[in-house]
Amino acid sequence: MKKKITGLILLVIIMGAIGGIYLFTGSRNEAGTPGLISVSGYIGGEKTELLEDEEVQDILQNRYHLKTDYSKAGSLDMMTADLNGKNYLFPSSSIAEEYYTDLYGDPVQSEIILNTPIVLYTHRSVLDAFDSQGLITRNGNAYSIDMARLVELIQNDTRWSDIGLPELYGNVSVDTTDPAKSNSGNIFAALLANVLNGGQTLTEDDAAEIVPELQAIFGKLGYMETSSSDLFSQFLRMGVGAKPIIAGYESQLIEYASIHPEEYEKIKDDIVMLYPSPTVWSSHILIALDEKGQDFLDALLDDDIQEIAWKRHGFRTGNYGTLSDPDSLAADGIAASISQVTPVPSYDTMKIIIESLQ
Amino acid sequence: MGKRLLSLFTAVLFTVLAAGCGISGPAAQTGNSVDETTLRILSGSENQELENIIQDSARNAGIRVEMDYKGSVDIMRELETGAEGYDAVWPASSIWISLGDKNHMIKHSQSVSITPVVFGIRRSLAEELGFTGRDVSVQDILNAITDKKMTFCMTSATQSNSGASAYIGFLYALLGKQEGLTAEDLRNETLRENIRALLGGVDRSSGSSDWLKDLFLSGDYDAMVNYECLIIDANEQLEAEGKEPLFVVYPYDGLSIADSPLGYVDHGDETKEEAFLAFQENLLSGESQSAIEATGRRITANGVSDENKDVFNSSWGIDTERILSPIQMPSADVLMEALNVYQTSFKKPSLNIYCLDFSGSMRGTGESQLKEAMSQILIQENARKNLLQANEGEVNIAILFSDGIRNILSADGYSDEALQKLYDQIAAESPGGGTDIYTAAARAYEIASGYDLNDYTPAVILMSDGVSSYNKEVFDSAVETYGNDIPVFSITFGDADPDQLEELAEMTGARVFDGTEDLTEAFRGVKGYN
Repeated sequence: MKKKITGLILLVIIMGAIGGIYLFTGSRNEAGTPGLISVSGYIGGEKTELLEDEEVQDILQNRYHLKTDYSKAGSLDMMTADLNGKNYLFPSSSIAEEYYTDLYGDPVQSEIILNTPIVLYTHRSVLDAFDSQGLITRNGNAYSIDMARLVELIQNDTRWSDIGLPELYGNVSVDTTDPAKSNSGNIFAALLANVLNGGQTLTEDDAAEIVPELQAIFGKLGYMETSSSDLFSQFLRMGVGAKPIIAGYESQLIEYASIHPEEYEKIKDDIVMLYPSPTVWSSHILIALDEKGQDFLDALLDDDIQEIAWKRHGFRTGNYGTLSDPDSLAADGIAASISQVTPVPSYDTMKIIIESLQ
Repeated sequence: MGKRLLSLFTAVLFTVLAAGCGISGPAAQTGNSVDETTLRILSGSENQELENIIQDSARNAGIRVEMDYKGSVDIMRELETGAEGYDAVWPASSIWISLGDKNHMIKHSQSVSITPVVFGIRRSLAEELGFTGRDVSVQDILNAITDKKMTFCMTSATQSNSGASAYIGFLYALLGKQEGLTAEDLRNETLRENIRALLGGVDRSSGSSDWLKDLFLSGDYDAMVNYECLIIDANEQLEAEGKEPLFVVYPYDGLSIADSPLGYVDHGDETKEEAFLAFQENLLSGESQSAIEATGRRITANGVSDENKDVFNSSWGIDTERILSPIQMPSADVLMEALNVYQTSFKKPSLNIYCLDFSGSMRGTGESQLKEAMSQILIQENARKNLLQANEGEVNIAILFSDGIRNILSADGYSDEALQKLYDQIAAESPGGGTDIYTAAARAYEIASGYDLNDYTPAVILMSDGVSSYNKEVFDSAVETYGNDIPVFSITFGDADPDQLEELAEMTGARVFDGTEDLTEAFRGVKGYN
């Protein structure tokens, strides 16, 4: 035993010495690596996992010599946040970019990196209740919900108990993030505005008529989260009673299923994705504030990163592509293509909407 | 790259060491202590019960964890001002993180467990009131309180999540609304009268849920609003003492759920971030989660595991099959306004009698700290920032003392101007002479006896360095005359020796705070008493 310990001590000393040398040269090498640039910015919470993806980080570092740091912020909130020392903003809509331009003028560069449609998430019992009301259409494994009918239920103060769900307290409503602060809520408001406008994209001229209805719907929602990822994880965590339906991104469930396959297995029979008919696209757009931000923008368009973004994180990339094989994804119920889409109203119209919901 | 290899090398080294010497788990981890990181976590007091599980998770993650406990609403405030001293926050509910995280510092926030806010009512009383075996509304409970069939206690709505949640539930019930509470609702005269009457019947409130449970166990109350998990904890203690347990009532129109999120506060230290993630992963692992469930917290929204079924004792009214369908929290603005009016007009007015030490030993640091403290509480612009502003009808009196009473000052009403004037008078004083805290405290009791204490929440707040001539008989005789119901809180300054102050606090059910450490917390502790 004694001999063994002496040997070990010797081993430790030797390894320690090697380690010391390694540490010394290692740190010198790292410091000496030409151009490992650190880029910092604000991102919408739903892209956290993509940027934390080790493979993505490796590509960024090895191919582009970039090391990224970020803070989470709502897509609109980040525009008015402290931009000191930030190289980029990565909100989730083109509206946010127009908001930026409105505040600060044209950005150094900006480009759409990823796309994902707005969807509704709910539980099986709620799907069944909606189905019995005739709101649901099934295409293959994917469900879509008639938005005009859903809005009608909400506007009429329909109770959950009225549609066969007495175990849920209160009225039929869709939880969203704060439309004045965060993107998913913001473009969900855009979707509601279009639906209230008879399915036509709302214009500035028609806004005055629609805004009070929109305010009534959002006024009944009470407290709204500011981050779509927080809302989604609360939805998964707290059960059907707490959040019967939420608005979110299609990407969120695909990503959840691929990153947490075991947890997904446990919830997949209960959690349902509903494609609103019509829906709206969320375009994740990178706004470069300086040259470093531009480098980051270029790097994110790397083919491999784009592929990882779709397969592992659920963002449809390229030109809103249709899927050849939706079953290749980890999550069930993904639509092969997104066809019923209504364009988000113009920035000026959205400004009226946002201001009215503040 | 270099770093990664190095850590691989370190890992190999420790594996060799541990295996070679036959050292088992924990000892191997102490070997890690060279680079052991410490995480400081600001947490809701309800997690105090998890201390062992927390420390186990920390050990498994090879880090150290220091817990600091506060009410969730206070945690929100700490976040608003940057949470400098903390690496992580762990309030009772996510809402306090999203309201407080104005600087976007929180990352990796994940719910650790869930538990509903419920009413725990003495079982025989719950049966008598017909609250067992049927759906109960908040209004049913409020009726029992206003008809004086039930005394109950809750935490302060402006400090703690459980109190705030219950209070919002009361507002909805009194308004007969299900959703969309507005600022206009809060100005409704009928509502104001009803909520005042209701809160007037609250026995006593505490700044945090775990302290409330302790208060309940040491007192003689019929009911409390608290987390299901803390009612379970209280019941275990009650049954162990051979006492009657509480029956859990889930009001269908006033339920809320605490989702206990643990989030990292990003101050830009990568080592801390890694340590946090390791700790969090451990806490969310199957083994820890099961241990957490065994304390009466739920780990999924869909019932409880067979293993821990017995903990959720159905004879206590605990119902794990029920779908927990909570009320809606109002929008951020309305919520903050609701908390504001709770503080300023709904709760009983405070009767604050400050005993201020102007003896010679306070000269210099102590004196300036005392005056700074008074500026934080009396100058309303400062007080408002911490929700410490005076409420409607509040009375503020200052007894300035050294070895005798030097001066007694009172604010003329509770207006900003009146309180500013009181502050100016105090600020103009300078110290000198000996110290006698007992005569000052006795005088405070005498002054308080001139008020109808059913209409006020009285408190004596003694600010001193605590070095007094021992003249305790004077205070003893005041207690004999007036009783010891009024707490004598102390806030210490300068080079304090709190022994004598502790004695007074103990006699009157109060606490001693270090005014040089966290003054706001001290004031909130004093004023949060309702």
